[in-house]
Amino acid sequence: MNKKIKASAAIVAALALSLGAFAANTASAATTVKIAYQGPLTGPEAQTGTDSIRGVKLAIKIYNATNPAVKVEIFEGDDQGDDAQGGTVGAGIAADDAVIGVLTAYSGPTIAALPSYKAKGIAIVSPSATRASLTDPTSKDYGNPVFHRIVSNDDLQGPALARVATNGVKDPTVFVVDDQSSYSVGLTKAVKLALGTAFQAGDSAAKGAVSDFSATIAKIKKEKANVVIYTGYYADGAKFLKQLRDKGYKGVYAAGDGVLNSQFPKLAGKKQSEGARLTAPTVPLEVASPKITAMFKKDFKADPGVYTTEAFDATNIFLQGIKAGKTTRADMLAYLNSASFSYKNTAGITIKFQESGDLSGSGLMNQFVVKGGTIKLNGKA
Amino acid sequence: MDFSVLTDQFASLTFDGIALGFIYVLIALGYTMVYGVLRLINFANSEVFMLGSFATILVATKLFNHTIESDPLTGFKLVYTMTAMLVGAMIVSGVASVIIEIVAYRRLRSRTSNRLTSLISAIGVSIVLAEAVRMATSSAPMGSPRLLDKTILATVWGADIRVDTLLVIVFAIILLIVLDLFVNKSRLGMGIRAVSMDYDTSRLMGINLNKIISTTFLIGGLGTGAASFFYITVYEMTRFSIGFELGLAAFTAAVLGGIGNIRGAFAGGIALGLIEMYASAVLGTQWRSITAFVILILVLLFKPNGIFGESLQQARV
Repeated sequence: MNKKIKASAAIVAALALSLGAFAANTASAATTVKIAYQGPLTGPEAQTGTDSIRGVKLAIKIYNATNPAVKVEIFEGDDQGDDAQGGTVGAGIAADDAVIGVLTAYSGPTIAALPSYKAKGIAIVSPSATRASLTDPTSKDYGNPVFHRIVSNDDLQGPALARVATNGVKDPTVFVVDDQSSYSVGLTKAVKLALGTAFQAGDSAAKGAVSDFSATIAKIKKEKANVVIYTGYYADGAKFLKQLRDKGYKGVYAAGDGVLNSQFPKLAGKKQSEGARLTAPTVPLEVASPKITAMFKKDFKADPGVYTTEAFDATNIFLQGIKAGKTTRADMLAYLNSASFSYKNTAGITIKFQESGDLSGSGLMNQFVVKGGTIKLNGKA
Repeated sequence: MDFSVLTDQFASLTFDGIALGFIYVLIALGYTMVYGVLRLINFANSEVFMLGSFATILVATKLFNHTIESDPLTGFKLVYTMTAMLVGAMIVSGVASVIIEIVAYRRLRSRTSNRLTSLISAIGVSIVLAEAVRMATSSAPMGSPRLLDKTILATVWGADIRVDTLLVIVFAIILLIVLDLFVNKSRLGMGIRAVSMDYDTSRLMGINLNKIISTTFLIGGLGTGAASFFYITVYEMTRFSIGFELGLAAFTAAVLGGIGNIRGAFAGGIALGLIEMYASAVLGTQWRSITAFVILILVLLFKPNGIFGESLQQARV
């Protein structure tokens, strides 16, 4: 036992020495900058953060493999998706001088961390913060000039979801189920507004706390609804859909980006999920690029998740800046805010930013449909 | 408030409520058995349920190589596979329960008579297990293949009597009868009742306390394991946080019926299942837990020991 410990200690020491030597060598040959990711890496929302940060890691790995003059490292900031922790984590990221850009996952923690990023002039490109106030000049949450995002905001998804759900349905009678999360409540509000008189009734089943949706389904049957919209996340959405179909519901099932996950049709069942309609301001990596999906699966032995593509793209935006020689915070921010900035994303669409930090143009909102157990892109919503 | 849904869908809601209630009953047994003997709330029982639910799915997917998209089975193969899943879940839950007793409680019991330390230890074990599974599964839910097709056997007053929910009810009743007989008639059951009545006197009478306590944890774990199998058969999905959701409900059911009392667990579980279902339908699903707890508090105001009273004593069991 003792010998073993000694032997392993020796190996560790040798490794540390060689690594140290290596680090010293590269440090003299090239500089290193960091891209930070602030999002939920542990806790109940960890799935979202895990899916996204893998996109960041993959983009950086591909970049570093080209042996660039400036190497890039990742700074992992775990805010657990919690507003209160966002401020602390943001301050920690801002204090590391090597960080020249940051990706923020959730809207609440992003807002909490904004003062730190603004004070140090660190550019944000968010792959998934969709709250409308972040790019609203009249709001106190306005993220200008540091905040940018490559997803459309929630004001766009509500009407799109209402439209997609009722598309082709004669006399739609809509039942809306939310999961009481702030995302879901916001989306539900926008959906109901867009539905108008087609909205019949609704129910709220707290996220992760309901196994049995029988009561909700009883209400749907009583209302004779022919369209059901679910505004929560995929795990509960799948459970709900499965029970809904098993109880003989034949109408439309539609849901927002929270449900857009490759696991959704699997968990809901191939037969039960057939024809389910989804909207999202995102493109699944499987759809955007099968080649990068293959690399992703090889690296992480897992499937890409909801905002993997956007995290990959947001990272590539910074990497594009670094390739163009923008290796300081000020240069990177000026680069993103310049009128000439543009980036071609993984799906092949060219992205530009407005002054507010939102995407130029009408914004991207896609619709998807489940066919034969997989989610297929079905054009713009 | 929407009472029309209650009149419109009454039979359906009642049948679903009873089926859900029986799952609560089986988990509640884990809490009630241990409480009856040790006067200790075994909070880790919720994670025993969670482990059992994963075991059920893993037996189907790893041992029998079914995938989530496998077609339902029929005939002998169905019975064989389902039995293996049930036994697998019961073994995993039973063993986990006994190990938890040995690791987290036994030493504390011999060193100190302070029950508070055991309670903290119980919560600690619960957190460790849930977090370990969370990391192992990357927080993702795990779906189960549908091996038992959800055939509708009959429609009674508009309620679909489905084979899976009927299976839960029938098997839960059988398990409860067996357990009731075991506690009341068998020698070991007599030992359990003796320890539950008077810890010190039964030790003086030569009863091997640790053996009795381990047996109690084993039985509680087996019941919880069976519950997790039935849960998966009906709902076909689990995740690391499932223990908290179902465990809290089952614990509520146990307290409602009178914790430490097997028949109380039965009554509490069914009552809770029905209350939840009716409250969700009439007030909205967001009021489900609130209604359940308000009713629990009201019951405890008038009957502080629950509907059937506390403890596993002879007359009541």
